[in-house]
Amino acid sequence: MMQILRWSAGRVMSALITLLGVSVLIFVAIRLMPGSYEDIILGPLASAEERQLLAEAYGLDQPIFVQYFAWIGQVLTGELGTSYVTQSSVSGEMLERIPVTATLTIMAMAVTLLAGVPLGIWTGVRSGAKQGGAVGRVVSSIGISVPEFVLGSIVIFVFSQFSLGLKVGGFASIGTGFWPTFQALLLPALVLSVFCVAATARTTRDAVMGVLVEPHITAAVARGETAGHIVRHHVLRNAGIPILTLLGTITAYLLGGAVIIETLFNLPGLGSFMVTGLGRRDFAVVQATVLFAAAVFVVLSLVLDLITSALDPRVAVTGKAGS
Amino acid sequence: MTTYSLPLSKRKRAVKTRPPRDALFIAAACALGLIVLVAVAAAVIPFAGDPARIVGPRLSPPSAAYPFGTDALGRSVLARLLEGTRTTLVLSTLAVVCTAVISVILGLVAGYAGGWAREVIMRLSDVLYSFPSIVLAILIAAVVGPGQAAVLSSIVLVTVPLMTRMVSAAAMSVAKRDFVTTAKISGVSAPVILFRHLLPNVSGTIAVQGTYALSVGILVEGGLSFLGYGVQPPRSSLGLLIQEGGSYMLQAPWLLFAPAAVLVVAILSINLIGDTMRDRLDPRETRSLV
Repeated sequence: MMQILRWSAGRVMSALITLLGVSVLIFVAIRLMPGSYEDIILGPLASAEERQLLAEAYGLDQPIFVQYFAWIGQVLTGELGTSYVTQSSVSGEMLERIPVTATLTIMAMAVTLLAGVPLGIWTGVRSGAKQGGAVGRVVSSIGISVPEFVLGSIVIFVFSQFSLGLKVGGFASIGTGFWPTFQALLLPALVLSVFCVAATARTTRDAVMGVLVEPHITAAVARGETAGHIVRHHVLRNAGIPILTLLGTITAYLLGGAVIIETLFNLPGLGSFMVTGLGRRDFAVVQATVLFAAAVFVVLSLVLDLITSALDPRVAVTGKAGS
Repeated sequence: MTTYSLPLSKRKRAVKTRPPRDALFIAAACALGLIVLVAVAAAVIPFAGDPARIVGPRLSPPSAAYPFGTDALGRSVLARLLEGTRTTLVLSTLAVVCTAVISVILGLVAGYAGGWAREVIMRLSDVLYSFPSIVLAILIAAVVGPGQAAVLSSIVLVTVPLMTRMVSAAAMSVAKRDFVTTAKISGVSAPVILFRHLLPNVSGTIAVQGTYALSVGILVEGGLSFLGYGVQPPRSSLGLLIQEGGSYMLQAPWLLFAPAAVLVVAILSINLIGDTMRDRLDPRETRSLV
């Protein structure tokens, strides 16, 4: 027990250090970007006095670490700054966009859970067999090899050429009711889920294969248990952790904003916010959305690791799951 | 590679089977080799013509005169496709070589030295690993400015964390072995241990991870150019061509499908080659339940 507590404390510490590193990296990156705050707000014709006034107003004349701590203080109180372009609150706009990204994530993850895990178990269980193993392998390799911008473009092409009951685009807002929202998000969610399903199937397959050669499976086979019973009772519980970790990682990446799919399907989510922000050189928006994406990842993987160590205490002792 | 099979079913199975993946590996290697060969040959002998020259009417479909059709400005799609494939492959390969050098140094030091050095290197790679790859690429593109430099540095920073982690894990297990201890006791200096004793033993990991990094690199180049922050026109890259093709896909679908097919085949072949290399490096016992 003490060991688990100590390991958990260490894990929380390293997550905090990572978050600190992430925030420093983003802060430095924003300051390295071409075009200073004064140039963006005042334009190239501003006089030196005007620039000086603005720098004082925004604290840009302060030493860099003072600026960093002021920024972190704001972020911790939920204040992510003001958009340079629209002068609206960045956190307010993000709150409006989070439901879109979150719905997209939930839909894609639902498909992933329902298709990826069973597919992985099936191919894993058949992996030693002559046929079946290779087919599953090729299918999942194709799934991880087709980039979302290719698949998305092709899906848009197919669905705009032939009306197949689903339409591309036409996303109004999340408040328009369940059915219109579902219809508009279904295609993008399916496109996103292809990679996730394939990646999950591959990981599940590897995890299942790893467990299948363990002695307790030999014992179960010797006892004459059926394949289904062995998978449900002896394989899944042991193969679960890598699958859980991968599902968590994918969820975290999706929640940070499906940049390409949101841009392609014109969805008002966090990813498209980031890209439009960058296009307008609206660094307050870029800074906030990138920080959000990275922070979601760090926090979610911390939670996941803590859950994993509760499920399999060996993680806390040896640093990895399983035998 | 031996395959153990303890079939539960009544069917009798041959114990020794030639893994069908070998056929896949050969197919993948041939496909990738063909793509590389044609793209490189086009640079030496310009058989497809000048990619920048306007050769015919706009958006004309594939025909004998224009094998892959023409684009929105009347340039030959084949010539641009070959140039784009070359740009994408050269940028990704260059970036992966940089990644390999950085990751090998960081990974070997982290795996051998342990302690503080390891902690610092691992936390740094955690920081980079926390960004979804396309988000990190966008952040870098914003700093560096759109173009080939942005593509190159994005691929390096996206692929370095995972490769460093894998090399360090492999180096750590090698560093525990007796021949390393012997070398250390006989007074061999740390750099010699790192590069003469550890490096050859983790080279398999480097090759496998390098292969996967290459496919990630092509993906990142594609995504970044697709969003408009990668390779800039009039140059071409696979991502840029797919993005351009997307705007005319209703009128001229060949603009989209030709580069998309090359991109997918290239990534798929690289992934299959990586899988085979991984399995050869780390052959596993397998068992089939059905």
